[in-house]
Amino acid sequence: MNSFVKAVGVGIISLGLWSSTALAQDSWWKTAAQPYQGAIIRGVSESTPASKYVEQVLGPKFTEETGIKVEFEATSWDQMYDKAIKDMEANTGIYDFVYIEQDIVYTYLARNFLVDITKSLAENAKIASPDFKPENFTTFLNYFKDPKSGDVMGVPMEAFIKPYLYRKDLFDDPAIQKAYKDSTGADLKPATTHEEYTQVAKFFTEYGADKELWGTTVQASSSHPAAFYEFFESVAPTFGVYNWGIDGTTFAATEANGGQMNSAAAKKALNYWIDLLKYAPPESTSSTWDEVAGTFAAGRAAQGLVYGENAAWIATDETKSTVVGKVGVALPPVEAGVMEAAEAGKGYIGYYDGGAFGIPHSSKNKDASLLFLQYIGQASVQTDWALAGSRIVMNSTYDDPKIVDQDKKMNGYYTLMREDGKLFAGAPPFPFHSQVLQVAAPFIYKAIVGEIKPDDALDQAATAAEAELVKLGYRK
Amino acid sequence: MRQSNIGWLFLAPATLILFVIGFIPFIYILYVGFFDWNTNAVDPTLRWAGLQNYRSLVFDTTFLNSLTRTLVFAFFVVVSELLLGYVLARALMADRLWGRQFFRTIHTLPIVVAPIAVGATWRLLCVPGFGIVPYYLKLWFGIDYNIATNSYHAFATAIVMDLWHWTPFVTLSLMAGLTALPKEPLEQAQIDGGNKLQIFWYVIVPMLKPVLLTTVFIRLMDALRSVDEIWMLTKGGPAEATRFIGLHIWINVFPKTDYGYGAAMSLLTLYVTIVLSWLLFVAMTGRKGGAQ
Repeated sequence: MNSFVKAVGVGIISLGLWSSTALAQDSWWKTAAQPYQGAIIRGVSESTPASKYVEQVLGPKFTEETGIKVEFEATSWDQMYDKAIKDMEANTGIYDFVYIEQDIVYTYLARNFLVDITKSLAENAKIASPDFKPENFTTFLNYFKDPKSGDVMGVPMEAFIKPYLYRKDLFDDPAIQKAYKDSTGADLKPATTHEEYTQVAKFFTEYGADKELWGTTVQASSSHPAAFYEFFESVAPTFGVYNWGIDGTTFAATEANGGQMNSAAAKKALNYWIDLLKYAPPESTSSTWDEVAGTFAAGRAAQGLVYGENAAWIATDETKSTVVGKVGVALPPVEAGVMEAAEAGKGYIGYYDGGAFGIPHSSKNKDASLLFLQYIGQASVQTDWALAGSRIVMNSTYDDPKIVDQDKKMNGYYTLMREDGKLFAGAPPFPFHSQVLQVAAPFIYKAIVGEIKPDDALDQAATAAEAELVKLGYRK
Repeated sequence: MRQSNIGWLFLAPATLILFVIGFIPFIYILYVGFFDWNTNAVDPTLRWAGLQNYRSLVFDTTFLNSLTRTLVFAFFVVVSELLLGYVLARALMADRLWGRQFFRTIHTLPIVVAPIAVGATWRLLCVPGFGIVPYYLKLWFGIDYNIATNSYHAFATAIVMDLWHWTPFVTLSLMAGLTALPKEPLEQAQIDGGNKLQIFWYVIVPMLKPVLLTTVFIRLMDALRSVDEIWMLTKGGPAEATRFIGLHIWINVFPKTDYGYGAAMSLLTLYVTIVLSWLLFVAMTGRKGGAQ
């Protein structure tokens, strides 16, 4: 009897100890998520390497830890916008978190689509994770703050610059260097001016005539906004034309009214860019951002401006890229004075792209979504995410040994982003982003296919953009 | 004879659904068409515009070009599909055709492919630099085919893609119609000495008219509202070469959020479609209205 009582006693004590230990081991996430067990949160995002990591790794990990199921839809850029905006407009609540690209955030803020994350966490301390610290993020977070209150409206999930990638193996090849010198009289090196860039592009197009190699990529789809973006966000700034050439206070686009969209500098930029099509592979007039990355990864171009989100896989993933170990990275070529202006904070030389996840006001699971957004906003998940998507949103990520190692394989992409990221800028804070794009882009398309001259294209684009701004009530 | 009202009771659910999903949105679009409404404007509320949206449409060259382009596209695809569909229907009905069932199945397969997949597939086939269509056109005929820079190539490809996708539907419809035709009038025409063309024109076509009319109407409606396939193939380009009216309306209503103007465009397009259908009906039946 005594031994039975002892055994039962020992058993109860052991069970107590085990359960208390088990409880002590429960993560903060599990405890905080207790009221939302079994909830399903749905998100929509553009299908980028960083988003795929969320879909395949972070979402399932969060579910494992919290019991909150994450249904994640990674789709095309235009579909993503279409679905997210319709859902938020109609207040249907299909999505609990949405991807907010840096350039659309001002539209979302103007339309009160988003939940104020800072305020929500302050009001509900039980779900405010001690590991979520907005101050850990890079200054890219500033793009996702409400300009009035300074509150965080989205948690950055990807951020990257659009650098100049070049084929290091070709540029370093002594025979090619000699041929270039013989042909142009100059040394072969990554271009720092537009003239040099065109010269390099021309040389490699001639050199690669029988090798399926061309001188440059051009993101010049003749019917997709990607062409508009490449010109106004990546090329025009290198000629000193910022904010799409629209004055941010008077909302003038034409030079006659004080805008820059059809200025001499903008026209020079468009002529330069259209001229590059002669030295680009035939698919360039169908290329959006994805196809440009594909073209470079397939070894079909010697140089190009490529969105940095693709830099990691192009430089390191042998299953997708034929140029692994051959990719060099540099700053885009600029006109005289533009680099100095960017360094002085008076301009920029390229696009700092990326996005965040935000919670629509229409969400039916705001608290569970807040937990998820904080989960992906922890410092501990950033490194592997950066390795998968060449995106960095926290300063601490740069110093991680894994990132330092990958930086070497990518010939300094992360170093470039860390040291020179300040020279790049996001999209202008225009809430009429999509409206101006839709009226101005068709003229860029017409210039690409040669229906109109680049100068006329910009004259007509500026007039159309300005008329649209008048129609929207921004410009009197 | 006593008339029962029970039929109305059975019809009520369908009538209610039609009212909710058909009539109410139509009235709403009619209403919005008289307003200036853009949720991204400084003043995002509805502002009365009267007939201004319709007045602007008359001078909107992009809209008029889109509409004209759509009508040309619809004409080409409907006529081509009708001719091709008839030839294929007769061929697939021929008793002597070896493997007739197999060909019929293969020929019918495109109908079941989703338009978005059709557009994506054709885009892959035609993309410059990688696609097999530009590759072989260059290899065999020396043609620099590029749907991203050449308007004619893009437009022609849109037509060919539509033919590939929807000719089988016309074939099946006409096969059903031809199979159901009575033999006697045909035999009588042969006995009377009619040649093949005369028999076709004076005997087969009149008897086939109900099927032809239905098929042409269905295909005309589809062609006039082509969006998804074209979107995947060309995104409306190069420039605006394949920006058909459906795509143009979509761009105005969604990315541009110009709801008032988009509503006016939709209604005008609907009006054009109704007029076209009526003209077609009159031309094919010789009557100005009423049931067959």
